[in-house]
Amino acid sequence: MILTHFQTMVIFALAVSLAFAFLSKNTMSERLRYAVWAFLAFLAVAIGIGWLMYPFSR
Amino acid sequence: MAETQKSSINPALVMVAAIAGWLVPGLGHALLQRWSKAIVYFFTVGVLAILGLWMRGNVFSSSSADAFDMLGFLADIGSGVFYFLAGTINPAGGDVSRASGDYGTRLFATAGVLNFLCVLEVLQIGFGSKEEGHVVG
Repeated sequence: MILTHFQTMVIFALAVSLAFAFLSKNTMSERLRYAVWAFLAFLAVAIGIGWLMYPFSR
Repeated sequence: MAETQKSSINPALVMVAAIAGWLVPGLGHALLQRWSKAIVYFFTVGVLAILGLWMRGNVFSSSSADAFDMLGFLADIGSGVFYFLAGTINPAGGDVSRASGDYGTRLFATAGVLNFLCVLEVLQIGFGSKEEGHVVG
């Protein structure tokens, strides 16, 4: 199975943020909020670091 | 405010649940009747592990002398049944000559570490050291 780096990262972020939400929060609304927040934070940080590294890629 | 409650669960059952949770992700929580957690942990750990294997990630064995490979083994073994069925799920084995295989290695290791966290939570719930507040599963 061939997935791009971005697709792999999205699946990773989705799975880990969902698991962290259930590990750390007790109510469903808290879990949902935390999962969405963590998922978006994963994406934002990864894309941000990607852009920071871009000038050094060649 | 949620308070830490002393558990009335039999300690033997807690240990069985922890071992079951390691072998089959989510089974420990199912034994403690935390149904929604059991389902979520099974699917999150399962998706990461199976995807990692399908992407031809490397699965480390215990026989390696290299310290980093041993750390990889410790992470991988956490995924329980997925580690033992790795050869069945992906008979072709690992191939880290492509970037995809490298990503797969990380996904599989993440599945193992995530499941270890779930096992720790089983022990916390069982021994009553986790603040659960209003439990919804």
